[in-house]
Amino acid sequence: MKRPIALAFVSVSALAIAACGSSSSSSTSPTTAAAPGGTAGSSATTAQSGGTNMNTGNPSSPVTLTESGSSLEFPYLQVLADPLHSAYSNITLAPAAGGSGKGISDATAGTTDLGGSDAYLSSGQLAANTALMNIPIVVSSQAVDYNIPGVKTSLKLTGDVLAQIYMGKITKWNDPAIASLNTGVTLPSTTIVPVRRVDSSGDTFIFTSFLSKTNSAWNSGPAFGTTVTWPAAPGELTANGNPGMVQTCSSTPGCIAYVGISSQAQATSAGLGEALLQNQAGQFVSPTQANVTSAVNNSTSNVPDNLAASLIYAAGATSYPIVNFEYLVVKSTQSDANKAKAIRTFLAFAIDPSQGSTPANLAKEQFVALPSSVIPKVQAAIAKIGS
Amino acid sequence: MAVTSVRPERIRSKRSMARARARAELTPRDRVIKFVLGAAAVVPVAALGFLAYEMFKEAYPSIVFNGGKFFTTKTFTIGNLYSTGVEVRHGYKAAKGASFGILPLIFGTLVSSLIALVFALPVSVLGAILLVERVPRRFEAPLGVFLELLAGVPSVVFGLWGVYTFGPFFARDVYRYVADLHIPWLTGAVGSGQGLLTSSLVLAIMIIPIVAATTRELVRSVPALSKEGATALGLTRSESVRLVTLPFIRTGIIAAALLGWGRALGETIAVLLISGNFLNAYPKSIFAPFSTMASTIAALLDGALTDSTGMAIHALAEVGLVLLGITLLTNFAGRLVGRRLSGPGLPVGRGV
Repeated sequence: MKRPIALAFVSVSALAIAACGSSSSSSTSPTTAAAPGGTAGSSATTAQSGGTNMNTGNPSSPVTLTESGSSLEFPYLQVLADPLHSAYSNITLAPAAGGSGKGISDATAGTTDLGGSDAYLSSGQLAANTALMNIPIVVSSQAVDYNIPGVKTSLKLTGDVLAQIYMGKITKWNDPAIASLNTGVTLPSTTIVPVRRVDSSGDTFIFTSFLSKTNSAWNSGPAFGTTVTWPAAPGELTANGNPGMVQTCSSTPGCIAYVGISSQAQATSAGLGEALLQNQAGQFVSPTQANVTSAVNNSTSNVPDNLAASLIYAAGATSYPIVNFEYLVVKSTQSDANKAKAIRTFLAFAIDPSQGSTPANLAKEQFVALPSSVIPKVQAAIAKIGS
Repeated sequence: MAVTSVRPERIRSKRSMARARARAELTPRDRVIKFVLGAAAVVPVAALGFLAYEMFKEAYPSIVFNGGKFFTTKTFTIGNLYSTGVEVRHGYKAAKGASFGILPLIFGTLVSSLIALVFALPVSVLGAILLVERVPRRFEAPLGVFLELLAGVPSVVFGLWGVYTFGPFFARDVYRYVADLHIPWLTGAVGSGQGLLTSSLVLAIMIIPIVAATTRELVRSVPALSKEGATALGLTRSESVRLVTLPFIRTGIIAAALLGWGRALGETIAVLLISGNFLNAYPKSIFAPFSTMASTIAALLDGALTDSTGMAIHALAEVGLVLLGITLLTNFAGRLVGRRLSGPGLPVGRGV
């Protein structure tokens, strides 16, 4: 909402790196617009400016790219569909929601071209399906919201306290563990109602990742995943999808819920409070685009070539602790060359700060562009998609 | 003895002669019709057989992997898919920490559907009798249509209504007072209404139209002559219902209840939304969150599909297979009970 400056900084730096980082050659210079497709026009140039020849451009015949999966990523892909079609008239993007689990399994089975997921593929999945790749296209984050009558300030919470709440060990809002973090705030004795997702969810994945990194009992117990074995917490509730989390929490005094950032505007307008979460450096921070950007920039050294990286609980004084890549799961071997080209072109378009990840597009869902240091790795991955 | 054994044989031979004559007179068109009808009769049986076979095939790795533990343990988790290790048992792999025990799911499925039946059955039967015998004709038809419309409401609508309106209302304004009576298992934290009792009540509302519509047809089928006889004998209306109508339709009611029970056993989306999806232990009270077999399959399917060992899917298939078995078993058991009930007494009730 109010974070244009940080965003502009990211985009500009990404562009700068992209412009001067073409050390690894590629014969195509930015100005030779006549990419293999011929009619691609100027849009092909930026897609190739990162240093890797991704062989992008308008496919020779119309291609429809189907997508299913993450409901957090879905609205962003809807935002991208129109500008994509304007830039490449032969590519139509047809996104659908359904959950990260569905995105991964659909892409694995080949029933969809692109599988949206908030969670990266596990090493088991990558080993079992060697042709499967997870390509990050944007950075997302997650807010922790609550509904405490009478409390208007932003509460400070730690991952450890959240884990204890979801384990049923902290049951009242005025528990000393919460009160000591929030001196000066009058907390009611209201019973805490933890809300969790019922569907297989990337939000559950990143939330439980955070709990696993901050509470050893959680790490050795439920651990993390799109579906975990939730401990019994008194009065706990379940909800379907991010909109369901917001709805349930706003109608339940005392509730606490984890909500993907693209639904945070609804949460705020529903009157839910947004917690300040303690990061690794001990600071309490909110999910502003600047804090999310800081978390990504402090995690980029951990991003492996297969791009399956956790950005949770990053180092850095201002880093927000629950941050993740939004992935598209795709097969590296496609049935025909035209489709492969369309997929490469779309992915290159999506990560390009001057095309897909423009500040305006990102701001619609409160997302952040990929850090410039990761883009070469992503481009290398995109270039591997063939037929 | 010898005399009595001759009679049926004679009848049989007469019948087979008649059949042979009928066969000889079949035109080609008759044969086609006979074949089509025969095929149509086989389809349901074949479909059930095929379904059971396919589910068994899909569930087989889980049956070997879990063995008897599937029915004797309480923890159902697909394991940590992001751990590098795997569990190996009898040559089959599952994700690290995976455990598949469905005791609480069997409990939740049976108990929620039985509570639903306890609420739905008297309401449906009394409602149907009232509708046919007491409500004036011109109101009966519209009320009947209303009942049929209720049967057509999609279960997701019931689920959303249950989780956002019915459940919170009952928790706030009803359960609290019930819980204050401190009756064992009917007490404890009432929460927000997501749980066993709310699910059972919503299930009851969902099966009332099925049971009531079937019962209504039964009540209509009671011969007017019997009722007139009862009136002639000086029976009051309530005596007539108790002594004539109810005995006449008893077996039919069992069948109607089984239909409703079957629906409650397998109901997925409504329970998924209202149950609170609590796994791995029995609900602490009748108000507490729980889970059923059908709703667990739906809740865990997405996550299970991402299990690279595939065991999570096999385990869910086994849950489905067990649910199929339970549905068939309850159906057979109900039929047995129905036959026992209709044994002596009025023979007229048998054919219904």
